Amino acid sequence: MAHSLSPECTPLKQEYDTCFNAWFEGYLQPVVAATPELRAEQTAAKTEEYNQKCGKIWESYRDCVQQRAVKAKGLEDLLGEARKENPLTKPPPPPPADAET
Amino acid sequence: MVYFSQQFNYNHPWSHVVIGMWHKYPNPHCSHVVTVDVLDRTVDPRTGIIRTERMLGCKQKAPIWVVKLFGGSEDAYVREISFVDPSTQTTSITSVNLSLSQFATCYEQIHYLPSPTNPSTQTVFRQTAEIQARMAIWRSMSDRVENWLAERFEQNALRGKLGFSDVLRSLWDGKEQPHSAHS
Repeated sequence: MAHSLSPECTPLKQEYDTCFNAWFEGYLQPVVAATPELRAEQTAAKTEEYNQKCGKIWESYRDCVQQRAVKAKGLEDLLGEARKENPLTKPPPPPPADAET
Repeated sequence: MVYFSQQFNYNHPWSHVVIGMWHKYPNPHCSHVVTVDVLDRTVDPRTGIIRTERMLGCKQKAPIWVVKLFGGSEDAYVREISFVDPSTQTTSITSVNLSLSQFATCYEQIHYLPSPTNPSTQTVFRQTAEIQARMAIWRSMSDRVENWLAERFEQNALRGKLGFSDVLRSLWDGKEQPHSAHS
């Protein structure tokens, strides 16, 4: 598992990553396989499960990274500018169908 | 601008590739990526789309002229936004460099989609990258160089005038007859 930019945050990061990865693996396959009607219900339940299971460790890890990595390394401005220039709040359009394959 | 693109298949189903995405680093083939942090992550309870903002910390030696020109160090940071949409089985990853972004940007986009021919066993990987120098910066830099050269030229011209005046004075002072007044 990759390290955090701040060594102090690495244990929190690894605990969070473990939680997310376990949840994600259980999330992806049933949602992919579900029918559209079932999918909405399943998605809502799984989202709730994620917040319950990983919400707390996520908050600790996020705050650690914000304080000890982003702020401490002086990356706030660079990040702020990048977010302003390209917020990326929505998925980009799918790539044009490639004729090569 | 430099444009790069490639496409190939992974012999794994889409869901395996997307699960693998979070396990890519650390990786001996990509030892330049040393840290990975999740800055933000949301799961949309309605669409099921997971949006993740990560910051990758890289260590890569830059060519000496880049370091000399732009300052900078071995540490570089990349902002990466990914969207995983299980309902359409699409994943997109957009990456932009944070470091040295005032001079140039590298904008990379990756898509993972189930292969149209073997959707349950193969995943298409599509990657494009646009590398672009920020022209405004180059222009302002060339302006600065021009201004500096012009200032230097003016200073040198002034020095030349003073210097030559001294030479002429020491050569001719006292030897020149005041001729114009009496002729």
